[in-house]
Amino acid sequence: MYGHQGKILHVDLGTKKIWTEDIPEEWRKLYVGSRGINAKLLWDYCKDPEITWDDPRNIIVFAPGALTGTTAPASGRTSVTTVGCTTGLYLKSNTGGHWGAELKYAGYDHLVVHGESDKPVYIHIEDDIVEIKDAKELWGKDINETDKLLKEWYGEDSRGLYIGPAGENLVRAASIHCSLYHAAGRGGGAAVMGKKKLKAISVRGTKPVRVKDPKKFAEVAEEMRELLRADSGAQGLHEFGTAGSLAGVNELHAFPGRNWQTGYTENVFPITGQALNAGGYLKRRVACFGCTIGCHRYSTIDNGPNAGISSGGPEYETFGALGNGPGIINTEGVLLANEMCNRLGLDTITAGGVAQWAIESYERGVITKEDTNGLDLGWGKIPELLQTIEALAYRRGKLGDLLGDGLKIATKKVGKDSYKWAIMNAKGLEQSNVETRSAKAYALAFAVNPRGNDHLMTETFAEFGSSPEAIDVIEKITGDKKWASPHFTNFRAEIVRWHEDCYEISEALGFCVFTSTAAYGVNPDNMARLYTAATGIEMTEDELMLAGRRVCTIEKAFNVTRGATRAHDNLPWRLMNEGAASGPLKGATNSQEELDGMLDKYYDLHEWDRETSWPTRETLEKLDLKYIADYLDELGKLP
Amino acid sequence: MEQLLLVDMDKCTGCKQCTLACSLIKDDLFDLARGRIKVLKKEDIALGIQLLCEQCEAHPCIDACTDGALSRDETTGIITVDAEICTECGSCVEACPYHGIRLHPETNIPMICDLCGGDPYCAKHCVPGAIIWVDKTEDLVKEKKKLRSARMAKYRDLKKEAEH
Repeated sequence: MYGHQGKILHVDLGTKKIWTEDIPEEWRKLYVGSRGINAKLLWDYCKDPEITWDDPRNIIVFAPGALTGTTAPASGRTSVTTVGCTTGLYLKSNTGGHWGAELKYAGYDHLVVHGESDKPVYIHIEDDIVEIKDAKELWGKDINETDKLLKEWYGEDSRGLYIGPAGENLVRAASIHCSLYHAAGRGGGAAVMGKKKLKAISVRGTKPVRVKDPKKFAEVAEEMRELLRADSGAQGLHEFGTAGSLAGVNELHAFPGRNWQTGYTENVFPITGQALNAGGYLKRRVACFGCTIGCHRYSTIDNGPNAGISSGGPEYETFGALGNGPGIINTEGVLLANEMCNRLGLDTITAGGVAQWAIESYERGVITKEDTNGLDLGWGKIPELLQTIEALAYRRGKLGDLLGDGLKIATKKVGKDSYKWAIMNAKGLEQSNVETRSAKAYALAFAVNPRGNDHLMTETFAEFGSSPEAIDVIEKITGDKKWASPHFTNFRAEIVRWHEDCYEISEALGFCVFTSTAAYGVNPDNMARLYTAATGIEMTEDELMLAGRRVCTIEKAFNVTRGATRAHDNLPWRLMNEGAASGPLKGATNSQEELDGMLDKYYDLHEWDRETSWPTRETLEKLDLKYIADYLDELGKLP
Repeated sequence: MEQLLLVDMDKCTGCKQCTLACSLIKDDLFDLARGRIKVLKKEDIALGIQLLCEQCEAHPCIDACTDGALSRDETTGIITVDAEICTECGSCVEACPYHGIRLHPETNIPMICDLCGGDPYCAKHCVPGAIIWVDKTEDLVKEKKKLRSARMAKYRDLKKEAEH
């Protein structure tokens, strides 16, 4: 087989059965790989809406890309797909690191974990050896300790994926870590692993990945690599990491602070990527497998009472969620919170999201010391934030349990209008650190995102027009460069839908979306040529983008089975009802009216029903998804 | 003008493009075990140490091969393996002070970096500039040795740590 290894590995933790199946040839054209084939598998096994996140019938699928393991630049990423516990809806999360490539070298494109174990286990894979092993020595261990033990047992070249105490405790903010400091963080996939009592998956592989036309493959991969080498966005990511752009975002008054009550912070420097370099915290620039950019950081505190604290990051989102968000404008404060989240297995975005909501709730008197484990919560308080994070990971005390369930449940428990400052939409995922009130494509993308509102199912960064390449993308989509400004609502539906397709195919092939939607070296045209060179499957740019659309439609349809409607495609109450505090769009909101205008266009473009937001039979059949139309029909969920 | 390969551990992001590129150009497929260059990765401290033939002056691999399967080009320092003579014993692997030789996973013949005959393919893939192919000067020869010593010191530290 070329490109793919051609195998799906199944492991049932309930029955302890292990088996493989060949990837059906037509799936390689219809769904391409990774996120795409994951969507098909989740549909096939879990479409029945009675299968909730904690049902043993829920599956969790791990998949490197169709091109992972090759020299395609930054193609080493892995998609993780399951019924998410935070929203109860479709969850795809994606991680970097080196684990996915190792799974591919072991001979598998997908690992599907079924069932639920009655005691803690981990999976050990070495090529054809696949075992379910007792995890009693690992259970309760943090991420660093778990990785260390797995490497002791299986060697320094083995690669680990694992959950920490947070995942074991079914905390919604828990994240699946791999290669220590990389994570499929969002949506609580780690709690699904925790429910299955699956602590870790250790992989070592030695099987080569082959491509159909090595010469042509090398040529197209080189084209991508050289475009990325020359791209200013990619250069910035290498030099200063993802957090390198934060000062600029702050200048746009788009850096959310204090639970989205501010967009601009004076003296923001300590919580930027540049501060890591200047303060001597940055020890290494790190790359995921096969990545020529290397945006990841490895940082250490050298001096003072916290000397020796080291971890991966912090990333852009972490400086937001655990820095500007809780009002901690302090490099070491963020480094400490980041290290703690990485060690305990928490998603920094959600951890910061629930912490900010708790601080504001406490400030408003809606919760008291009774509810906060006695902590006097407040903005800018580092020790209190660290104690909140620890309580969250272990569900310690009333505070840990309240925040451990995520904002969707916590706001119901607390009541008193506390949903109004919970930064999540109707789906219930804590929002990533983006100011959508002044970025309208982001607003639409966040609203329609099937897993909740964040930037990790579609990134519409191009709307800022911050580089010539970004402006070209907007011109390609809309026909005019002038729409490369985030303040317009015009053409946002077109921009979002194009990016949905592009983002999906990037992930299906294993590419980091930074290469195609933040920097611009990888695009639908060269992806199609590379996929053909790798697999021998003839596919045009349009066919590949259509495969992306097909997968996005499956993801949407999956949510329809769980009762999703147009009302789920909204934005957090605060952003829809309270004006931005400052900046060029001071006072602007994401009003329902504004959102409705964009949603109508977006559903029209997809040929979905405006009223319900549901895909029609005709649309589904056009996308070769008749089986989905038939099932939705059975459920009475066709418009 | 003569050129040399500068290999800097501090710029290495551990992405393994170099190993993949080597495997592709030599074997037409992607297999980390077929790279003439290996990146020893230590994930907890985010370290990557590049290991490959250094075309060194001492070249103890040649003496270690009692069958005489290895020969050295006096100008370029490139070591060549005669696969007909080689008995796949692995003595050269053991002898290399820079841990730069491995046996091919299928043929068991030693794989030794030949600088792609003067146009190293890996260097083109290393965007962070951890592997660069530059014109040879006296200063750069010294620099090459300095970078190599740093890599070897780190390698020894890691091995010592692993033993404890």
